[in-house]
Amino acid sequence: MQIPSDITYIRKASREVENLLRSNNVDDSLIFDIRLSIEEAIKNAIIHGNKKNRKLPVYISYSLKDNKFNIEIEDKGSGFNPGKVQDPTCNENLRKKGGRGVLLIQKLMDEVKYNDRGNKVSMVKYIKKNKGGCDAN
Amino acid sequence: MQIKQEEKNGILVCYVTGEVDINTSPEIKKVFDKLIGAKEKKIILNFKDVSYVDSSGLATLVEILKGLRSYGGKLKLSNLSTKVKNLFEITKLEKLFDIVLEEEDAVKALS
Repeated sequence: MQIPSDITYIRKASREVENLLRSNNVDDSLIFDIRLSIEEAIKNAIIHGNKKNRKLPVYISYSLKDNKFNIEIEDKGSGFNPGKVQDPTCNENLRKKGGRGVLLIQKLMDEVKYNDRGNKVSMVKYIKKNKGGCDAN
Repeated sequence: MQIKQEEKNGILVCYVTGEVDINTSPEIKKVFDKLIGAKEKKIILNFKDVSYVDSSGLATLVEILKGLRSYGGKLKLSNLSTKVKNLFEITKLEKLFDIVLEEEDAVKALS
């Protein structure tokens, strides 16, 4: 999937992923975590990566296989160093704006990796399914 | 996203319904800018019907809190879902906000 750098597309993209997860009976609590992580990553790609230049795309690819959900989000920006993002949980940063999106992604997903350039994030969440899901056979 | 306001014992209770995120935060900010402009002293934000909050929503709530505290206003958050409360714990914003379980606890504390 590819979306323009426009924040109104964030929910459209996350809804597509959410639909896949719901159709596979993924637990609501996990869907919340995945949705939030995806939206934070896309938001960062649009605002910080592509600087809200609508002409620049954000690329999103994802899969759900063997109870493992993978997603990659890539922008056209020059990248960032996640290690240099301020720790929003420090007392002196609690009232500041930045850094919470990156923190939430780190805490809510099981694996998070950035490429060397820092313009692509790869995330993994291991999936448990709702009871009551009906398997054929 | 909708905000319904109700006065209880001199406390303004704001019932938020829907999602508090990058798309809806400007609306919430607008409502609270008016309340802060009017120097509303005691406010409870009841999040019973808030299903989702993102980092933009959290940042907006911090801005609102700063605005209220600038003149001695008080804010309490109540009825957060487990998932939303977890976001306040992860970000340590629970240290900044007064979060209570039920609205009536907030009303008692502010009365």
